[in-house]
Formats: sequence, structure tokens, C-alpha cells
Amino acid sequence: MTGFLAALRLELHTGWHTLGSKLILFLPALLAGLQLLGNSVINAGNQARDGFLGGSFEASLSEHAYGFFVDALSTGLTFLALLLVALGAYSFSHDRDTGAVRHLVIRVSSRPAVLLAKLIYFHLLALLALILLLLVSYLISAWLWEFGPVVEDGFELIGEQEIRQEIALGLRLAIIPLPAAIAFAVLISVVASSATQAVTMAVGVTLALDLFKTVMGDYADFLYARFQPSLVDQSYLADVSRLVRGYSDVLVDERILQLNSWTPWPALLIFLTLALLIVARRKL
Amino acid sequence: MMHSATNALSILGLSKNYGQFQVLKDLELTVATGAIHGLVGLNGSGKTTTLECLLGLQTFASGEIQVLGQTPDRLHSLQGKVAAIFDAPSLHPDLTVHACLQQAQWMCAGAVHSPEEVAAWLGISRYLKFKIRQLSLGNRRRAAIAHALIGGPRLIILDEPFNGLDAGGVDDVLQLIADLNRDQGISFLLSSHQLPYLEQVCTHIAVLHAGRIARSDAIETLLSSSEAQALIRTPDNRALEKVLAQDGRTEVVGSSTEGLIRVNLKELDSAELNRLLVREQIAVQELILERATLDRMFRELTREAGP
Repeated sequence: MTGFLAALRLELHTGWHTLGSKLILFLPALLAGLQLLGNSVINAGNQARDGFLGGSFEASLSEHAYGFFVDALSTGLTFLALLLVALGAYSFSHDRDTGAVRHLVIRVSSRPAVLLAKLIYFHLLALLALILLLLVSYLISAWLWEFGPVVEDGFELIGEQEIRQEIALGLRLAIIPLPAAIAFAVLISVVASSATQAVTMAVGVTLALDLFKTVMGDYADFLYARFQPSLVDQSYLADVSRLVRGYSDVLVDERILQLNSWTPWPALLIFLTLALLIVARRKL
Repeated sequence: MMHSATNALSILGLSKNYGQFQVLKDLELTVATGAIHGLVGLNGSGKTTTLECLLGLQTFASGEIQVLGQTPDRLHSLQGKVAAIFDAPSLHPDLTVHACLQQAQWMCAGAVHSPEEVAAWLGISRYLKFKIRQLSLGNRRRAAIAHALIGGPRLIILDEPFNGLDAGGVDDVLQLIADLNRDQGISFLLSSHQLPYLEQVCTHIAVLHAGRIARSDAIETLLSSSEAQALIRTPDNRALEKVLAQDGRTEVVGSSTEGLIRVNLKELDSAELNRLLVREQIAVQELILERATLDRMFRELTREAGP
């Protein structure tokens, strides 16, 4: 335990002094914030255009904050997952390239403890980045628009409480695959022969899974990456984005909900076990 | 040979393969507590592999290793009592020297020195706020040595510690090793190609050749077993060789391109040789005495042992 805590402390210290961790922490929130500001500018343009063309001002004004808030979360989570994969792949392989990991295993930690410390560190980082993303997205959305129920012709289609529940569900389902994504990146980091190879491989495979999941049919439902917000987004959060705008009354399919909730965990265990087995034998 | 508590490290029957190639063959080596033991060998002889095996950085096919009473995979339980410095300074390039030294302090239970203290020893105090990547190779090596010293180790293993150091830097490091060994009783295992430097500081030398330790002993014993040589230039080298052959107390081992004859002084000293040549009326143009050196002993040993 002492070795694990020492490795975690060193990981936090290194993270505090290097750029990669700061990117993970701030970039998703920054991009989400920029997207919200961009949406606000586009919205203002649309209103001006409608005003000139004699369109209904009220129709435009009825656009509320939840839709933009969910879109910002999707964007932030997409980048967060990609950054976690890239930095997760870079972490161990870079320490091996520089030889920094050698001092750790000679002086204070076992190899598994070093690896587990990295995993925990990335989870802490992801948690902080997520809190920051939520905070920034919520505050900017509240500043630019108003949160409220979905109303059509004076009739409330979806109440605010229901919207919040669906966003919470969408967020929970979007977050569940993140530990598996981190474990995958760390596995690649252990397997690869250099940091460059590790990052290329991890990001390449993640993007390939993202692109090809649409042609994999039902098989994709057993892939942890299928449920992450991504460039080709099939996550429930994407459905929530439409739902809170009143475009659709799509609710999550029970089968998908179960798969989303459980598929990532075996993947996490497999990646973690493989990484621990390989790191025990790997030349450092 | 058995593991002993008086040894800082001992290796018994260590074998290691890279695929079909057997790099270490039943290697045996002991480093006594308080010794400065040099490990020398040709390129590819397995020096770095030996160090990596005993530090638990790579696995090996067979053999037993004990480092301060621990097996290589349990070295971390000694919490900083074993430190290593590698060929390439293995520090995080994006951290400052101070941050690296602070991390080293956290790695060692009850670290006995502060970052400022060890930086002052190595003359890198003014670089404490510099990132490792901003340092010259020599200063990076100094930082790596400071990193190793911070926890008050009992054994330091160094792989090519003089690479990238200028002459002054080498002198500083040699002096530091000697001081730490004398004042704090730290044991050292140094692997290097720089035989003259090892000769200055080591108490023992092990010659690694063709995957085995060809010779391991106290440096005085090794040097005393190697004969002094003389380089002689005369107008008539054939006459010289004839005289020496008749006398029989020396052995001609070769000649240089500059026309110098190399002679092993087996039973003669240089004064007696000089007297012999004068008596036999050999006109000597040049007579250079070469004492036994580690470098020559190493060359002889690796030549005798074959590839």
C-alpha cells in the first residue's frame, strides 16, 4: 500500500508540473464553453434574420438552455475520452522511454502498484475534468439562455424534472465506458515499444472503433466504445439532446440501457488483467 | 558460492537469453559491502543486461540474485537503500531539477538529504529551477547522481556514469564516489568502458566476457598479475630480439608501426634491462616503460578468452 500511495503521489506531482494533465482538465470545459458561445452567436444571428424576414421572435426565444447544455456536455465528453486515451497511452510508455519508471520500481513501488497508481490518477483526473465541464457548461448555458420545460403551443411537453432526470441518466451512461477506455489506453501503453507508438495505436484504434461501430450491427452493442459520446455519436446523451428540445420522445431502450450499464465492466477487467500480466514481465 | 550477509550483492548462476542468443551464461559475481566494484566488458558482453537483471528491470532464465538481502523483484521494499544511475539520465524531462529531487526524496523512506544539499554536492544548485530537458548532458548526469544520493543509499549501481561528463565533471564524480565510499560506507557497482577512470576509483574489478565473469578480484591483485612492458627502439631490432631471446628473462610480444619493439618484463626490471642492453652493446634510441594497467590487463584477458 505504501508503494501504491507513493506512486500515486508522484503521479499527482508529475501531473501538476506537466502540460498533459492540464489539457485533460481544462480543454473539454474550454471547448464546451466555446461551443456554447458559438451557439449563442448563431442563435442571435438567426433571431436577427427572422426579425428582418418577419418571422416569429417568440419561436426563436422559446429555445431553452437544456439543449445547448447537453450538446456542450457531449462535445466535452467526446474530447475528454479522446484526451484520456491519448494521455493514458502516453503515460507508462513515456516513463519507460525516459527511464523514470525504473527509479520507482527500484526504490518504492512494485510494477502492479505503479500501473494501478496510473489508473487511479487518470480516474481522478477524469472526475475533476467532468466536474469542471459540468460547472462551466451549466454556468454559461444559464448565462446565455433560460432553463425551463419543453413547451409547445403553451402545452408543457416535458417537465423540467423529467429533463433533469434524462440528462442525469444520459450523463451516467456516457461516463460508464470511461474506465474501460482508460484501462485500454494503459494496456496499449504497457504493450507498445515507445510513447509515439502507444499514442498512435490507442487513438487510432479508438477512432477506428468509432467509425466502424455503425457497420458492426448488433455486435457493436458489446463494445464499450459504442456507448461513449464520440465523433459518430450513438450514446444516449445524443438522444437526450433531441429529447430536451422536444423533437423526439425517444426514451432509452431497456436492452441498450442494460448493455450500456454492464458491457464496459468486463472490458475494463480484461484490459486491466492483461496490463498487469504484461507489466510484470516487461523489460523496463 | 553462497549468498552472504557480508555481500552487498551476489549473483549465482545467472543466465539470460535474447531469443536464441544466450547473452549471460551461468554468471557469478559478488560485490562485498563497502567495495567499489567495477564491471568491464566489450560492447555487447552483457554488462547492462547484468545490471538490469539485478535491478529487477528484466527477467532472466535462471540463477539467483540477492541485493542487500532482497531478490530483484522486491528491491522496492528496501525503500531507497538501492539506487541506480543509468546510461541515459532517467529523469522526467518536463520536471525541474528540484521537482525531480523532491520526487526522489518521496521515494525513499526517511530520506537523509535535501534536494538543496545533494544539488550543492554535485554543483547544480543554480540549475534547480531548470527543467531536465534544458540541461546539458553532463548536468543531466549530475542531476541523476543527485537523484540517486538523496535517500542515503547503501548500494549504488551505475551504468556508464562518466558518459557526457567533461574532464572536471569526471574528476568531481570520481572524488564523490571515493568520498561517499570512505565516509558513508556506500558500496558501488560501476559498469564503464572508461577503464582509466575505473582504475582510479575501484577497489575491485570484474571482467565480463562472452557472458561470463572471466576474472573478478581486487584491483591490486589483478594488476600485479599483469607484467610491466617496455617499448624499445634501436637501429637494429633484429639484434635486439636475438639478445633478448638469448637472455630468456623477457618476452618479445610484438612491434609497433613506429619500429618500437614491445617486450614483457617477466623477471627483469627496467634498470636490469637497460644494463643488459648496454652490456650487449645494443644502441638504444628510445626506452619507454609501461606499467601494468587495467586497460592492458583487460585486453590481454579478452584476447586470451577468445570471442
